[in-house]
Amino acid sequence: MRLTRKRIVIAAAVAMFTLAFAACAGNENDAGETGPTAATGPTATGATGETGVPTFTTLTEGVLTVGSCLDYPPFETVKDGVEVGFDVELTEEIASRLGLEVEWVRADFDTIFTAVAGGQFDMVAAASTITEEREQTVDFSDPYFNSRQALVVNTGETPDLATTDDLVDGDVVGVQRGTTGAAWAKDNLVPNGIELQTFTSATDGLRALEGGAMTAFIADEPFVAEAIADLPSLSVVQGIDTDEVYGLAFSPENPELRDAANGALEEIIADGTYVTIYEKWFPGAPIPPEFQGA
Amino acid sequence: MSVAETERVIVVEPPPDTRGPSSPISATALWLGIAAITAVLGGTLLLQVNYAVSDRVLTPGCVELRLTPDITGALNVCNMVDALRSSAQTLLLYGGIALGIAAMVLGWGIAKRMDSFRRREQAVTGAILGVQAVVIALVILAFRNGRPDLFAKNFLNFTVLGEYFPGPFFAAMKNTIVLAFVGEAGGVLVGLFLALLALSKRKAARAPARAYINFFRGTPLIWQLLTAYFVLLLGFGIVPSSLLVAMGVFALNTGAYAAEVFRAGIQSIERGQMEAARSLGMTYLQAMRFAIVPQAVRRVIPPLMNEFVILIKDTALIIVLGLLASQYELFQWARGGQSDTFNATFFTATALGYLAVTLPLIRLVNAVEKRLQSGLVGIAGAGG
Repeated sequence: MRLTRKRIVIAAAVAMFTLAFAACAGNENDAGETGPTAATGPTATGATGETGVPTFTTLTEGVLTVGSCLDYPPFETVKDGVEVGFDVELTEEIASRLGLEVEWVRADFDTIFTAVAGGQFDMVAAASTITEEREQTVDFSDPYFNSRQALVVNTGETPDLATTDDLVDGDVVGVQRGTTGAAWAKDNLVPNGIELQTFTSATDGLRALEGGAMTAFIADEPFVAEAIADLPSLSVVQGIDTDEVYGLAFSPENPELRDAANGALEEIIADGTYVTIYEKWFPGAPIPPEFQGA
Repeated sequence: MSVAETERVIVVEPPPDTRGPSSPISATALWLGIAAITAVLGGTLLLQVNYAVSDRVLTPGCVELRLTPDITGALNVCNMVDALRSSAQTLLLYGGIALGIAAMVLGWGIAKRMDSFRRREQAVTGAILGVQAVVIALVILAFRNGRPDLFAKNFLNFTVLGEYFPGPFFAAMKNTIVLAFVGEAGGVLVGLFLALLALSKRKAARAPARAYINFFRGTPLIWQLLTAYFVLLLGFGIVPSSLLVAMGVFALNTGAYAAEVFRAGIQSIERGQMEAARSLGMTYLQAMRFAIVPQAVRRVIPPLMNEFVILIKDTALIIVLGLLASQYELFQWARGGQSDTFNATFFTATALGYLAVTLPLIRLVNAVEKRLQSGLVGIAGAGG
């Protein structure tokens, strides 16, 4: 009995890990992967944009067909049969400013970029990081989300620690295994003699920080904002830019549509609509300066 | 002189062979079976080695599978796949299946008619080897018709281990062994103490021991690890080393199981032993010390070693504690490596690492069990 129980625990841990690895916006090298994915057929029809925006075409007139994996909350997910999330709301805002209706197509993240390049949908909104490999297949919009990391410290223990530059040789910094923050810390902190304490659960790591087990913790900013709400001795002292920004993806053959979407995105940021949507889906998270509008 | 020497020679007669003579037809069945399994297993292995050591370059077929030079270890993966899909491999597999079927038909066909033990055994053994060869060949056939390139690239691509091997790997292996060894040694001490309490006549002494044993057997080890860490850190304000916490929890947890093993071992000693010792004028403690415990220890050694083998694998659970790079054990080593390289070959290497520790131990347990030759040893083992 004992043996079986423990095996299940280990198996579950491995399974969780595998799932995390296969998550929607994972780091898979997907450029060039082939295979049919979405339900829509490539029926190209011309459409003209509304007044004031550049002329562009979509697959179906008046409709913006958007591919997404729709299983990556809070960015995109399906709730009671309706698509919801940060990406979903932003996409629908962009579409309405271009005079289009959005039609969502559920697609496999592994092949989503090949599919949009091949004309299966007009656009991909899937919390996808802009990478060089992907840019070989698709054209990205301007960044619409900055996935920053947060430096969390225990203000009671280290009131003077304000940035990662204040960390010194021998300090211990907590990270969560497999995250952008862990990779960033490995490249930028370990060479300076800072030791990493790797946790499976970021929540456990933050709790250990509260107990004074280490000097600081680095994790996703939106997550941290929510997680430390009940841990008053902890606070975020620095947002760390890791150059991980999300973009909407378009077919390289449709630069007009991308430009139109960029224009709409710019408006959304400038008039503060972005902040409204951001605060709805990431309550309490600090908004990176480039998205704060005028 | 020559007479004297002849007298000194002791002629040892071999024991009479009761198995009876062999026969060409039963020997044929046996050799068919051996040939079949050798072709399938040995042939496949030889082919892999041959492709691995010969000077090859990435073939167009591999490039088509997107095993391009910029992929780490592409050539090794390519060699594996090419060997598996070579015509020599086809010949080995279908040849092995044909030989295996021949061995099965011949072996089972003639087995009933064989008139000596040796002949029957040869026929049946040949047939069994034939079955094994056919099953393995079919599995390999199905595997190579799938995507062996993807599997090999993700799980057998040992080139990706790079800087993580051998230094960090053996450091991790050392941590695994130290964790399990300290946990087991501490557990035996805790267990012996608990077992003596649990066997007491007085309820007041038994109750806490039972509560302890039931608690540690009744909650998941992974929970015990996490809770112990935070109880020390938040409750007592001690900043604990994850490794020390893990050693302590393993000792406390193993102690509960070891207590049951000891209790069962002591209770398995026949009542007459105690009565005989007492009738010789020994006190209860003397009887325990000189008559009961020495016999019980013999019986509990194999199940305790079994616990040790189980604990070696359970050390992987310290995954829930925050670990510094120097504290990684085998499983953490694999997770860290996979996080950095996105390749699961680390888990294959980790499994080999665990086997390198556990297989000799399992052999040792079996040898000790055989040496102790006690029919009751199996019953005493409450570990499973």
